[in-house]
Amino acid sequence: MTDNLQFAVEAAWKVLALGLLLGAGLPLVFALGVRSLAWGTGGAAEVAVDAQPHPAGRAGAVACFAVVLAGIALGLAIIIATGQGKVVSFDHVYPTIVDKPK
Amino acid sequence: MTEATLILVLVVGTALLFDFTNGFHDTGNAMATSIATGALRPKVAVGLSAVLNLVGAFLSVQVALTVTNAVIKVQDSSGAPNTALTDNDGYALLMIILAGLVGGVLWNLSTWLLGLPSSSSHALFGGLIGSTIAALGFSGVNWNGDGTKLDGVIGKVILPALASPVIAGVVAAVGTWLIFRVTASVAERFTETGFRWGQIGSASLVSLAHGTNDAQKTMGVITLALIASGHWSDTSDVPLWVKVVCAVAIAAGTWIGGWRIIRTLGKGLVEISSPQGMAAESSSAAVILVSSHLGFALSTTHVATGSILGSGVGKPGAQVRWRIAGRMVLAWVITLPAAGVVGALMWWLGDLFGGYAGPIAVMVVLVGLAGFMYARSKLAPVHSENVNDEWTGTPGRSAKQEVPA
Repeated sequence: MTDNLQFAVEAAWKVLALGLLLGAGLPLVFALGVRSLAWGTGGAAEVAVDAQPHPAGRAGAVACFAVVLAGIALGLAIIIATGQGKVVSFDHVYPTIVDKPK
Repeated sequence: MTEATLILVLVVGTALLFDFTNGFHDTGNAMATSIATGALRPKVAVGLSAVLNLVGAFLSVQVALTVTNAVIKVQDSSGAPNTALTDNDGYALLMIILAGLVGGVLWNLSTWLLGLPSSSSHALFGGLIGSTIAALGFSGVNWNGDGTKLDGVIGKVILPALASPVIAGVVAAVGTWLIFRVTASVAERFTETGFRWGQIGSASLVSLAHGTNDAQKTMGVITLALIASGHWSDTSDVPLWVKVVCAVAIAAGTWIGGWRIIRTLGKGLVEISSPQGMAAESSSAAVILVSSHLGFALSTTHVATGSILGSGVGKPGAQVRWRIAGRMVLAWVITLPAAGVVGALMWWLGDLFGGYAGPIAVMVVLVGLAGFMYARSKLAPVHSENVNDEWTGTPGRSAKQEVPA
């Protein structure tokens, strides 16, 4: 019981930390993208009525959405790797799919 | 047909029925928010989820043969069944599995009738634990593992169930709060469209992950039954036909759509907007994937419900119906023991008659109760047309309210 509790607490805080990074961080980046796109589009997209369109806003939005897409790709990699009995390793900084450590 | 063949056929059929209920029970985990916010039309949402579950089920080639080892001791670590149970073509083992599966199916149907999301894995494990206790006594259950890793009923079922809604709720609440801070100056019409796309993407990831995880459990159970009865011997692979029928069963269940549960999740807990839906599904996807990556597998249902609650807590001024959340928590707490009691009763019933009559008696009870619950559900039907109607109470209650004044 105590062993299990210890393993669970160790795992739970990691899940919480990574969950916050990806599960709240990526939506934040997405929201920044939407914000940036609205600023870039101007007009009726903004609450302020006389907002002007800004090309830089569109570029910022594209950058934000690219980060989100990378996050989705990572999620897909984990799903596929797990299905094949492998894991995604971050040993080389960038993620690679490797055999499950025994 | 021998007794063992009869019970094997019934085990496979009941396992597929369980897989089907698993599908419709969990559609809402991925799609309830997209349906509630109108990001996807109801039929499109369940169709998308069904396809992704099907793809997910085929993506997982990893053998899930040792699935029962987490909670009961009927097979060894290679997946081979306990030889004490394999006499007479595995009749004893098959009876335990059959009774356990019936416990899982009946509990899934009861909670669906009440519109309560409850974990299908808990129902399956609960049923198996109950039938194992009835057949082998308390020592047949793997309560605590051997202390070297997270294992047993406590490590694989109870502790994750306590942790998952809290973790998912915190992540979703933080995500929702951040989103509303950042987009406060953007017109609502503009944010709704943008976040719908994010919501569809994250909900799709949840569906795919669900297919890879849940269909495997049924594949493992069916393969165990085939090995016990001497129809399969390879413990490193699952027969192709098992993979195909399990994938199709869970996808078909998803496609039918558990509208009662979708309604509770999408409309009952929180009045949800697109940014909240996106935050909730992103939290679910991230928490499910991170936890399975770290080997601390969490129930999709508990995570999804925690996320939706969190998205209500994180939005300034949003209303969360805590009474409904309370009912759900109650359902979660009793899922394991309730399915266990049914599993144990079914095993005793089967054992009382034995031979051909035992498994048939169990089937009669299953079909009778399932038919009864299906008939009850027709008194207050929930379907794709009324799933998004104004919330007036859980399905069980609105039936009473519909009496003309």
